[in-house]
Order: sequence, then structure tokens, then C-alpha cells
Amino acid sequence: MVAATFSTLMTMETEEAQIAAGLRRRDPDVLDALIEQYQHRLLRYLAHMTGNQATAEDLFQETWIRVLEKGHQYDGKSKFSTWLMTIAHNVAIDHLRKRTPASLDEMRDTEDAAPFEPPAKGPSPFEQAAASEDRRRIQAALEQIPAIFREVLVLRFQEQMKLEEIARLVGIPLATVKTRLYRGVLALRPALVGHG
Amino acid sequence: MNGNEHERAIELITRRDVEGIGRSEAGWLESHLAVCSECVGFAEALSGTERAVRSVSVMASATLVSATRARVHARAEQLREQQARTMLIGVSFCLGVLTSTLTAWVWWKCGAWVAQRLGLPAGIVEPGVLLFWVLPAVAIAVMMVLVPPVKFEGSILQRFLHERMGGMQ
Repeated sequence: MVAATFSTLMTMETEEAQIAAGLRRRDPDVLDALIEQYQHRLLRYLAHMTGNQATAEDLFQETWIRVLEKGHQYDGKSKFSTWLMTIAHNVAIDHLRKRTPASLDEMRDTEDAAPFEPPAKGPSPFEQAAASEDRRRIQAALEQIPAIFREVLVLRFQEQMKLEEIARLVGIPLATVKTRLYRGVLALRPALVGHG
Repeated sequence: MNGNEHERAIELITRRDVEGIGRSEAGWLESHLAVCSECVGFAEALSGTERAVRSVSVMASATLVSATRARVHARAEQLREQQARTMLIGVSFCLGVLTSTLTAWVWWKCGAWVAQRLGLPAGIVEPGVLLFWVLPAVAIAVMMVLVPPVKFEGSILQRFLHERMGGMQ
């Protein structure tokens, strides 16, 4: 058990160190592999942060450009995914600040409510329609809650990040992460009635 | 039941799925949930939120991925070029400083010799030699400020080779 854990840790450490070395060299093969590996996670996070697919796609490209430019700062000691999400967080915050300098809490994009790409296969047309309706409702509810709550919910439930990791990534105290998670869950609660 | 118990229960409900909680904590939570409808409601809302957030599917298209790769490659090439130029400028600067330092004494002596031969006062010759010595550097600096940088299509080495090959043909 201990040996297996140690082996996993060593593998992870080696992998992260290899990524760090590749980023320092600006190795195109390493970057290609990383884009391939993290494409869906990164886009999902940015889509939730901005609430707009087109903006998320722009920020997706911007994030990878920043990864390339700041790659030498990644030391390989922490998880690459956390570092990548931190970069994405900063890119998204910069973008949102430019759009609405007044408050991050109020940032929502209601101009383009195009639904996100649904999964390729579904059970039956009726179930698909119902599921699609559900998703739209949940998506709309997610867009209604402040971005700061939405971000914590996404990092927690989609990325399965620990509370401490979220605190480091977003740059806020652990207690604030807990409060945002709690308030986010409660804010989303009315929309979840009848779901699941 | 007091506020601290609710707070502890919410903390454990929040942590149990990702971080995990100990057996004794799980036991305590179970007994708390058996009697506290408020915390049961929060636990249900939490798992409902988890399902809901996960049900929203966002997939990156192949077009987006290939466009991103192309942009990243182009930027990487640009950065490599910038790095090569910086290196070139750095080496040129070092060589310039080295040759200037080495030739300063020669120019100074040369100036003194000319002044002696022509019978010029030191007050004219010394600033003259100094000006003559720094003039190339000043001229290059002015040119660098005034003339916009040349945009290279490929790398410096590629451009150099291309020009050489073109010149030979």
C-alpha cells in the first residue's frame, strides 16, 4: 500500500518535472500534449467562469499562450493542473475586470445564452429533450449566481479539487472558500428542486 | 443542539467526498444527520449541486484545439526569435565594450600625438578624442531609436541563410 502510494507520488513527481523541463524549453511537443490532455477541463472551467462559450474559447487560447510565456515559472513541484487553472483564473479575471471594472460579483454574461455542446450520445429523443431541458435550467441557474461562487463550485465538483487547493488557486483564505461553497450551494438550491 | 455542531456537520459534509473524513467523524456525522433536518437539507443540496454542475457538458472542438496549437507554435517561434535577437544584441554589446576599452588607450595616445604634431591645445583635443570615441555608439543608439525594428518572417538564421543563398544565385 505504502509502496504503491510512493510509486504513484514518484511517477507524478517525474511527470510534473518532465512537464516543467518541457515548458522551460518551450518544447512544442510537450505543449501539444498538454493542450490535448487538458482541453476539455480548461474550456469547461473558463466557460463556467465567463458564462459564454465564445469568450471561453478566446480565453482558452489566451491561457495556453500565457502558459508558453510563463512556462519557466512552473517548477514542477506542484500539480500542473493546479498551476494551469491558476493561469486560467488570472486570464479570466483580467478579462472580466476589463469588461466590468466595478465588481466581480456582478459579472454575468446574458447576451449570449447559447447552450453548451451537449454530449454526443443520449438514450432516447424524449429523455434527451428532458435532459437537455434540465441542463439548460441548471446552466441558467449557474449563470445567475455570482462568478465567485460559481468558480468555487466548478473547481470543487468538476475538478474535484481540495478546499486548500482552491484557496491557493483563487488566492483567498480557506474560510472564504468554505463560505463561497456554502453560499453557492444554497444559491443553486432552488434551481435543483426536481433535478437528479 | 448548538451552532458549533451544525458548523462541524457542514464542514464534514463539505469535506467527505473529496478530502474524505475519518471513521469516528463519519459516525458522528451520521448520528447528527439522523436528528438534524437542516443539515440533511444541506447535504442533499450539496450532492444535488455536484450532480448538476457535472451534468453541464462542455467539450473543446477539434477546430479550437488545432487553432490553439497553431497560435502557440507561432508565439513560440516569435519568442525564440526574440531570444536569439536579445542574445545577438548582448554579444554585440559585450564585444563593443571590450574593443572600446582596449582601443581607448590607443586613441588617447593617438590624439596626444596629433595634438603635439599640430600644436593644438589639450582643451580642444581631449574632448575631440572623447567625442570621436563615443560617436559610433551614439549614432547607432539614435538609429535604433528612430528606425523601426525589422519584422522577420522566419528565424534570424533562416533569413541569413536565405539571403546568402539568394545572393549566390
